[in-house]
Amino acid sequence: MPNPSPARMHDFEVVSNEKIADGIFSLVISAPRLASALKPGQFVNIRVPGDPSDLLRVPLSYVAADPERGTVEIWYAVVGKGTQRMSEWGRGFTSDLLGPGGHGWGVPENARRVLVVGGGIGVPPVLCLARELAEAGIAVDACVGSATAAKLVGVEDFEALGAGEVRVATDDGTAGFHGFCTEPAAELLACREYDYVATCGPGIMMSRVAASAAEAGVYCEASLERMMSCGFGACGTCNVETTGGMQGACMCGPVFDATKVVVW
Amino acid sequence: MAVDFGGVKMKNPINTASGTFGYGWQFSELMDVSQLGAITTKGCAAEPWAGNPAPRMAEVPGGMMNSVGLQNPGVPAFAEQSGPWLADLTAKGTQVICQVAGHSTEEYVRALEMFVELCPWAAGYELNVSCPNIAAGGAACGSTPEGASEVMRACRKVTDKPLFVKMAPVRIPEIARALEAEGADGLTVINSIPGMSIDVHTRRSRLSKPTGGLSGPLCHPIAVRMVWEAAKAVDIPICGVGGVMTGEDAAEFILAGACCVSVGMVNFVEPDASIRILHELEAWAESQGVRDINELIGAFEC
Repeated sequence: MPNPSPARMHDFEVVSNEKIADGIFSLVISAPRLASALKPGQFVNIRVPGDPSDLLRVPLSYVAADPERGTVEIWYAVVGKGTQRMSEWGRGFTSDLLGPGGHGWGVPENARRVLVVGGGIGVPPVLCLARELAEAGIAVDACVGSATAAKLVGVEDFEALGAGEVRVATDDGTAGFHGFCTEPAAELLACREYDYVATCGPGIMMSRVAASAAEAGVYCEASLERMMSCGFGACGTCNVETTGGMQGACMCGPVFDATKVVVW
Repeated sequence: MAVDFGGVKMKNPINTASGTFGYGWQFSELMDVSQLGAITTKGCAAEPWAGNPAPRMAEVPGGMMNSVGLQNPGVPAFAEQSGPWLADLTAKGTQVICQVAGHSTEEYVRALEMFVELCPWAAGYELNVSCPNIAAGGAACGSTPEGASEVMRACRKVTDKPLFVKMAPVRIPEIARALEAEGADGLTVINSIPGMSIDVHTRRSRLSKPTGGLSGPLCHPIAVRMVWEAAKAVDIPICGVGGVMTGEDAAEFILAGACCVSVGMVNFVEPDASIRILHELEAWAESQGVRDINELIGAFEC
């Protein structure tokens, strides 16, 4: 039989839950076994109690895992009823989650320079990867985009981890380049040698980054988002149309080889 | 707690709803599947089906809507990939019912023939004549006594093993009687309910198709009523499906006349919910002062 999902049930306790940008929160939870199991690019599916008519879990990426402290940090945007209730969680709140889900980024073993491109709440999974790569001594450049300066996340973190280039773009020009982060990404891809590109954000953004990477002849992976029910391969709802057919984002992704994605 | 679902001897009445439990092994690291009376695998057709485009799921209060469109690898690939694990499950005493998908009577027959040949470990087969997301067949052929009968009649000739039919939530008494007359060993009542969910800002469906199948606890009272109607109409056993979240929800189906109960959407949220529901159902049966769950089937008092 194919391998079942690596996801297991984990109880967790909230350590902190703070607003870090307009509509975006950082949640730190204590979940020691999970903190040791997560790899950059994987996700967790969180039970958000409080409304019995609201049944499904909330699938989210993570930005940092600390196996020594047993903590996991998750950045989330408040977009619906579930994340609204999450934003009200205080220290000591307990719930459970299923994770880790899916597989993470597949950085080539011999990669020496990597470009990561994150848009909006797509920044956490690429920041998570960038941190791991920087610790391994791999050079990282980053492009970070958002609708407006007040919603930007991760810029200081990329600078702190020693990223060579940190390019910022906002749709309204309130910070950095006035436009989408796809443009600075295309510029960097045109003038620097990369071995790998990782991108996460809106579908249209990722498709443009993938096109620029393909033009530069660089292997690119993208982390895709879909409406998801179970997160462990049982429901068949989080499908991504690929050149290899319909594939579930939870088991075959969420990270996909960008050249194989048909519908972003 | 043992029940006989149309020839499928279940050690307890808890089954899983097709489409909510994958092929079983997806749950193997999250629960002890062998505690269940039976599982019903996701529908498979003779050929692989790609299913519908994204989005395939929309959340609604008290449930969810899906338009998966019966994506499946086809019976041969299913038998090869999942067969060994499922055969092992049956050896542990949990019965496996394989769901059969098709667009036409010929396709159901062909898929069933493949199941009979390639999946000898299966305890029985469930004909899905009521998928709300299959445009060319499915819902249409299962929504009339004539259409459902035709599929059942043709499939009955293929195997003597238990054959069940997953019913659309329409015209239950007359279609149930028609299926019984064609030799169905039992009925699964009900499939998800055709529904619509519109994003009023974009004016588009929240699914990739205009309609989808509604499931979850909001369907439960409708499903209980339909199980009760089916149980009054026929003598063959019924598996109740629809929004079971607790042992008491399962007990409602038993009282309405179901001999077993399938757990559905809650599997997505709480992967081991079916075991909790089994324990809660056992506690309820004990509280009713019976030694045998069969004494409670259809024990609803009006």
